[in-house]
Amino acid sequence: MSDTPVLRVRDVRKRFGDHVALDGVSLDVHEGEVVAVIGPSGSGKSTLARCVHQLQDIDGGAMYLDGELLGYEFHRGHLRPLPDRRVAAQRGRMGMVFQQFNLFAHWTVLRNVVEAQVLIHGRRPEEARREALRLLERVGLADKADAHPRMLSGGQQQRVAIARALATNPRIMLFDEPTSALDPELVDEVLSVVLDLARGGMTMIIVTHEMSFAREVADRCVFMENGQIVESGTPEEIFDNPASPRLRAFLSRFSGRAAQTHERMQEETSS
Amino acid sequence: MSVAPQTVPPQAVPPQAVDVAAARPRIRPLRWVAGAVLLVLVAQFAWFLVTNPELKWPVVGRYLFDPNILRGLGMSLLLTVIAMVLGSALGVLLEVGRMSGFRPVVWACTVYVTVFRSIPPLVQLIFWFNLGYLLPRIPLGVPFGPTFVSWPTNSVISSFTAAVIGLTLHEAAYMAEIVRAGITSVDGGQRDAARAMGFTARQSFVKVVLPQAMRVIIPPTGSQFITVLKGTSLVSVIAMADLLYSVQVIYNRTYEVAPLLIVACAWYLVVVISLSLGQRRLERHFGKGQR
Repeated sequence: MSDTPVLRVRDVRKRFGDHVALDGVSLDVHEGEVVAVIGPSGSGKSTLARCVHQLQDIDGGAMYLDGELLGYEFHRGHLRPLPDRRVAAQRGRMGMVFQQFNLFAHWTVLRNVVEAQVLIHGRRPEEARREALRLLERVGLADKADAHPRMLSGGQQQRVAIARALATNPRIMLFDEPTSALDPELVDEVLSVVLDLARGGMTMIIVTHEMSFAREVADRCVFMENGQIVESGTPEEIFDNPASPRLRAFLSRFSGRAAQTHERMQEETSS
Repeated sequence: MSVAPQTVPPQAVPPQAVDVAAARPRIRPLRWVAGAVLLVLVAQFAWFLVTNPELKWPVVGRYLFDPNILRGLGMSLLLTVIAMVLGSALGVLLEVGRMSGFRPVVWACTVYVTVFRSIPPLVQLIFWFNLGYLLPRIPLGVPFGPTFVSWPTNSVISSFTAAVIGLTLHEAAYMAEIVRAGITSVDGGQRDAARAMGFTARQSFVKVVLPQAMRVIIPPTGSQFITVLKGTSLVSVIAMADLLYSVQVIYNRTYEVAPLLIVACAWYLVVVISLSLGQRRLERHFGKGQR
């Protein structure tokens, strides 16, 4: 296994008008690693995911996928943006799962999973179909292959979206708050699919508000606030032993397991 | 458990005997009045149609399938189809230009749409027909440089080309607006998802955005088709042999104005009704997969 991280993010900056969304973010994700990104709303976690996937241009810094510079190339000693076709090809090597699922509403579930394989990666339709059915089987929705997305529940749509993103054999999967738009009782079916992927060795970045899930699934947790990575470490370090007051304040706002852990920890330190 | 207090029914009817299925409809006096007024109006109009000697129904029958009339109808349909096809293509291009984000192109397309939506099509038709006064010869060559070939404008601009140009340019401006409404109706997440899958900008537009925009684009395009069909009657002013012009040629000779206009109206009616039926089927087709 090589030392080159699958994804390398170096000092990435992004602003929207006066608002600084990313303020020098650096992050390496290695083969098979699962990184959970947590933080308050507006901290820049989703922007980070969208920038890595080049759905948004960055203002500065650099990103590499398997050592290849994303979105730019050297030409006669100068950097210049890549043409759309090559940016698209780079995007095709990553998988993205959105908060709002964004399944293609005019296609059946099967075609959602088949189309990019055929169109972008030049697979034969028969082969793409077999692969799509295999993936739908894996997320437990093979029987919905001919349904239209609008007939499915939110949880089912998100599982199809995961199958769709997997269909092109991505080097890395990016999850942008995959359960935030779901009814509470549908969250678990999606998380179990993600957990299954993590156990299968998929390299992933998961932006999430599900603290207990982040703790369970992640090899490493990253806490973002105001466009910066404030703290990074193993789930134990982040949840049980937060160093910065900001992370402590953030965790204490969460009820449930993370906050309880935090309280227990405080009791232990005070006694 | 407490017993519910007994309520006394307002009428002396025992509650278990009530069944609303036995209710009689209320009398609505305004409906009766409206019905009576309509009946009188329709009767009067029918009486007028039957008894007015100027309408000459046998003349209508004689000219309804007259070859000259049918040729005119064919020309009207041909102009409509050409203007719609070219206009829609140009309209999509204009909207792609407006979405391009490249300022000069955005500007050019916006100016085009504003200008051509503001000029009445009749004015445009007369302008294009008389282009020869402004530009006697149409040149092909290097801009501001030498000319390789040139054609006399009046041999290029017939009443047919003037009609096609005028109707197309006018139509393109309207189609650009319709396409815009369709594209803005598609959720931005669809485009994001397409790009994320590795689709190029063009692929995500053609494969994902445009097909979904069709649901919003089709209904106004249908009405636009009908508007253009009726708009073709304007080309009669530049002596283009459309349906209206063919009718005029005949009644200028025979002075049977009313019956020949009825012939024209009948054909417009037939075509528009068939178009409306076709439009409904298209809407059903493109509506699938949507909420």
